[in-house]
Amino acid sequence: MADKYTDFTLQELMAVAAAREIQDGEKVIIGTGLPLIGAFLAQKTHAPNIVAIYESGAIDCKPIFTPFSVADPVLVPGAAMQGGLVEGLGVVHAGDLDVGFLGGAQIDKYGNLNAHVIGDYRNPKVRFAGSGGSNDIGAGCKRTIVMMLHQKQRFSEKVDFITTPGYLGGGKEREKMGFPGGGPSVVVSTMAILRFHPETKEMYLASYHPGLTVEDVKANTGWDLKVAPDVKETERPAPELIRILREELDPTGIFLKKK
Amino acid sequence: MKVSKVMTAKEAVAKFIGDGMTVLVGGFFHAIAYDITHEIMRQKKKHLTICTPSFNEHADQMIGSGCVDRIVSSYVWMEVFGPLYSFRRAMEKGIPHKIEMEDYTNFSMMARLVAGALGIPYVPVHSLKGSDMMKYSAWMGDNKVKLMKDPFGSGVEHAVVPALNPDIGYIHAQRSDEEGNFQLWGITGDAPWSMRACKQVIVSVEEIVSREVIGRDPNRTVLPGYKVVAVVEAPYGSHPKNSQGYYNVDRDFIFKYIQESRTEEGWKKFMDEWVYGVADRTEYLKKYIDTFGMKKFMSLKAKDMSSGSVNYGF
Repeated sequence: MADKYTDFTLQELMAVAAAREIQDGEKVIIGTGLPLIGAFLAQKTHAPNIVAIYESGAIDCKPIFTPFSVADPVLVPGAAMQGGLVEGLGVVHAGDLDVGFLGGAQIDKYGNLNAHVIGDYRNPKVRFAGSGGSNDIGAGCKRTIVMMLHQKQRFSEKVDFITTPGYLGGGKEREKMGFPGGGPSVVVSTMAILRFHPETKEMYLASYHPGLTVEDVKANTGWDLKVAPDVKETERPAPELIRILREELDPTGIFLKKK
Repeated sequence: MKVSKVMTAKEAVAKFIGDGMTVLVGGFFHAIAYDITHEIMRQKKKHLTICTPSFNEHADQMIGSGCVDRIVSSYVWMEVFGPLYSFRRAMEKGIPHKIEMEDYTNFSMMARLVAGALGIPYVPVHSLKGSDMMKYSAWMGDNKVKLMKDPFGSGVEHAVVPALNPDIGYIHAQRSDEEGNFQLWGITGDAPWSMRACKQVIVSVEEIVSREVIGRDPNRTVLPGYKVVAVVEAPYGSHPKNSQGYYNVDRDFIFKYIQESRTEEGWKKFMDEWVYGVADRTEYLKKYIDTFGMKKFMSLKAKDMSSGSVNYGF
C-alpha cells in the first residue's frame, strides 16, 4: 500500500522540509501555497500544538479544508480569535511569534529578499506584488523560513530591491537595527536546504535535494556559495507524509502540482 | 428633518466621489465593495489616489480603466491566483497611462490609518527600516517615512510613518441601519481603523436592517454612523469575493478575470461585458445567472454556521 507514496515531487519534498523546521507549540504566521501546506503538515504530524496565525487576523485556526488564501473564509469558523490586520500583524510586530514564512523573486547571500521589481524600481522590467506583510513578518518573527525557486538570477549577489531585510550586509548589521525578530534561519529552495553562518550570516549549502549534486546547486547560485563540511542529500520524505499531503491536505493537487 | 442616507451606488458615487480625491478602498480579500468600484469606473472618475494595505482585482480593474493616477499600498496581486496584469501594464509600460505608487507594508499602512483614526500626526513602526522602501518614494518625497530616535531613551531608531486621512472611504459589510451604523464580521481587514481615518464613508451592505437590530449587538459595529454619508443596499455587492455568512469566494470567476486580462484586448472585452455593459449590480447578477446558470449561482451561497447570541443584560 505504501508503495505509491515512496515516489515524491519536488513540491512535496519542499513542503515536508518546511514542516520539519516547525517545532511543536510554536506560534507560526502562515502565508499561502507551499508554506501553508508545510505548516499544516507539521500540525497534522509532529507539531499538533502550533498556533496558526494569518495576517488577515485569524488566530489559532482549525480550518476544515486547506485555505486558498490568507483571507479564505474557511479560516474564520473555529478560530480562537478573528480580528483584522492590526490584530493579525500586531502580534507579529510585537515580537510574539516564533516562525514566519517568506518568499520573493530574488534573495542574496545574506538573506535579503526582493518582492518588488526586476530592474530599476522607477522603471521596472517586471513589477511584482510588493511587500504585503512580508517586511513586517521579517522584522517581527523570531526566525523566518524562506521558500524560493532556485535559479541563478533569483539567487543573486545583489538583489534589485530590498523588500525584506535578512542580515543586510552580514555580521552584526541586522542586530544593530534593533528589530524584534532574529532573521532568516533557513532557505528551502527547489534545489537545496541552505542555512546561515552564525557569525558572518552568509548563506551556505546544508543539503542538496535527491537527484542533484553540490555542483548543480553552486552552478545555479549567483555567487560563490559556501558549502557545509558535512553537506549531504536532503532527507527523503517518509511515505506516510506523502500520503497525508496528497490525500488530506491537497486532494485536488492545487498546491502541489502533480508530476 | 433628517435626510436619508440610503441611496443607490450610482447616486452615492456621483454625489460623494470627485475627481482627484484620495479614496480608501476598504476590504482585505473580504468586505470589498465591487458595486461601488464598478460604479466609479462607469462614471469615469479621474486622477484618483487609491489607498489600502492590500489590493486585488478590483484595483487592477480601476487602474486599467484609467481612473487611478496614484496608489498608496503594500500589495497589488492576487496570491496563488496570479499577477494582476493591468497593474503590471501600468507600472511597466504606462498603459493606459503611467501611475505612481508609494510602497509601504501591510502593517505600516495600518499604522498610518490608526494614526489617522486617532488624530495623531505619525506613529513609529518596526517595519520598513533597512529596506529600500526607505530610500525610494514617489510624490511624497521625504514625507513618506522618516527615521526617528526613540525619545524615551531605548537608543533604537524607528521608522515613523505619517497619519493617513483619506477624503473618502468605501467598504462592503453585511448589514447597516439607515444611519450608517454598520456591522462587519469575519475578516475585518483594514477596518475598523481605515474607515475611522476617512473624512467620509460610503458603505454598501448585503442588508439594511433596523436600528434596533444593530443595538442588539453593538460590539459588532465598525464605526459610529455619523461618519457615514451614504448607505447602499447591494446584495452580492462583493462578488467575486465573499461576504462571510452570505456567499463564498467565486474562484472560477477570479481565475477567468486573471486569464482574460493577460492581454489588453482580453481585459477590455471582460470589462465591456461585466462592468460597462451592465447598469448596476442587479443587471450584473442577472447577467451572471444567465451566463453561468442558477445552479452555479446558488453554489456560492454560504452554509449556515450561525453563532449563538450573547447576553447583553445587566
